[in-house]
Amino acid sequence: MSGLRVIGAAWRSLTRSKLRTFFMMLGVAVGVAALTALASVGEATRQETLRQFKRMLGTFDTLTIRPGAGSTRGMPSVSTVEPSLKFADGPAIAEGVPGVLRVAQVQQTFDLDVSYRDESVVPLVLGVSSNWADIRDEAVASGSHLTEEDERALARVAVIGADVASVLFKGEDPLGKVIRIADVPFQVKGVMATRGAGPGGASLDNMLVIPVTTASKRLFNRDYLSTLVVQLRNEGDSDRVADDVRALLRERHRIIPPAEDDFTVSSPRATLAQIQQVGSTLSKIVTGVAAIATLIGGAVIMSLMLIGVSERRREIGVRRAVGATRADILAQFLAEATLISALGGAVGIVIGAGGATVGALLQQLPPAYMWSMIGGAVALSLAVGIVFGLYPAWKAANVDPIEALRS
Amino acid sequence: MIEASHLSRTYTRGDGTPVTALRDVSLAIAPGEFVVIRGASGSGKSSLLNILGCLDTPTSGSYRLGGENVSALSDNERSHVRSKRIGFVFQNFNLLPRATALENVELPTLYTGAAPDHARARQLLAQVGLDGRADHFATELSGGEQQRVAIARALMNDPPLLLADEPTGNLDSAAGESVMQLLTSLQREGRTIVLVTHDEHVASFAEREIVIRDGVVASDTRRRERVQA
Repeated sequence: MSGLRVIGAAWRSLTRSKLRTFFMMLGVAVGVAALTALASVGEATRQETLRQFKRMLGTFDTLTIRPGAGSTRGMPSVSTVEPSLKFADGPAIAEGVPGVLRVAQVQQTFDLDVSYRDESVVPLVLGVSSNWADIRDEAVASGSHLTEEDERALARVAVIGADVASVLFKGEDPLGKVIRIADVPFQVKGVMATRGAGPGGASLDNMLVIPVTTASKRLFNRDYLSTLVVQLRNEGDSDRVADDVRALLRERHRIIPPAEDDFTVSSPRATLAQIQQVGSTLSKIVTGVAAIATLIGGAVIMSLMLIGVSERRREIGVRRAVGATRADILAQFLAEATLISALGGAVGIVIGAGGATVGALLQQLPPAYMWSMIGGAVALSLAVGIVFGLYPAWKAANVDPIEALRS
Repeated sequence: MIEASHLSRTYTRGDGTPVTALRDVSLAIAPGEFVVIRGASGSGKSSLLNILGCLDTPTSGSYRLGGENVSALSDNERSHVRSKRIGFVFQNFNLLPRATALENVELPTLYTGAAPDHARARQLLAQVGLDGRADHFATELSGGEQQRVAIARALMNDPPLLLADEPTGNLDSAAGESVMQLLTSLQREGRTIVLVTHDEHVASFAEREIVIRDGVVASDTRRRERVQA
């Protein structure tokens, strides 16, 4: 009996008991739809998280060093952090740790009034070294970035974020205008390109940057930093560089065991991995549930097939009488189970992909389809058909034709 | 055609006690014979038919079909023997209810590896007088029509031997008569026909009658001269 005729016979048999076929398909379809939809929605969310992270951090080839032992909550600010991270730590890391390309110094605060004429905002104010924009891959929409000369001269210049520009200047060209940061006048020398939303959806454009030296001496009057951004020569090096940075800073800060670090080194990759770890744990659970749904679908196929086998004993007997071998009967019933499961899987993929699209649109994300998961769903539905069809098919193949024909 | 010697068939009941259905049955049936097997229920005639139809194997003894010892064959090999050399006609027709008359007739070709020969199936339906019914489902046909479809199905792979088990048992007398006429015409084509029945009238179509009683051949009589092909 040729493969094509087996499938043809299976198809005819399925189309002639549509209701049963529908129920057999249902479980697998639901399972595969859930698997496809959840995996794809999860993938869309993951990709969006990645995009948001990239926007917030600029690049992934960096390490971030913050003062304090790591358990600080919320945004560190010069007024709230431990004064453990010094300006000199920056050059020391850049020169003392192999694999480090450059180090940016950052002081930040978010409690200063910034005003232009009658308008005022309270943005995130960053004092940054001149290499900061370059490390973070920040672009200016107009004007220019801070320079080394600005840094050396303690220049009172600022590069403002898009939100700050739009609130303070309302369409007026901000370049060259003088704004007041905590009543200290600064000239706007650039407007940053829009950065969009970070994780959590908050705007990343409500900020401005000034030279870190100016911030330290003229605004904050502090000689410690809120952040050091270490750019690596080679992204793959980040664990080793982090260890070296840690060792160097402990030495510089004269920390002797068992005292703990007075700073925290984190890599965006590690943070992202952590977030994605949480995401993937969730998606594993969800995937598990969907897989169980598919297995239940398989169990439905098996039980309905078993009922089918006992109802079709006479058919089996007739087929045996006219020359079907046990293998022919096995192949027929296995083909029916596999075909039904594959059809259920196909329906499930269509529904699931549709659901994923709707889900992504509701979250206002570009839809993403996790093809590996869809491929897995196809394989799973075929496997379910074969595995759960095997026992009923074996039962069918072992129906005694004499008994079956007697009834 | 059929040479059975010293056939015995013992079944084991659920409680483990053996039951002997056939005891040392020997018979020979020549090609082209029309033989009726009669016997009360429980006499062993069904067991004999199952062995002759290669659905079952004897516990002891040998059965040669067309010169080949088929009692020693495997389940698979017996399937192939049934496919090519034996056509079955059952009391309850045993058509596939969800298939058309034509599909039922073509069913045996599914297991020969050959392509389905629609023309032959239609020609057989015409031969049994059902050329207009090819696309009717089995359930839409009368009993007599169903049995004639079943006969066409039995002929599909052109087997030399037809085994019929009470083929008229579920039919009214007119339909039964036409089925018996059909079987008689098939014998004239040269096919060997072995028919199991209770019915004296049906038995009268055969030229030879074997009576089974308590698992043994009680009588083997020639009712009339062979109809020559």
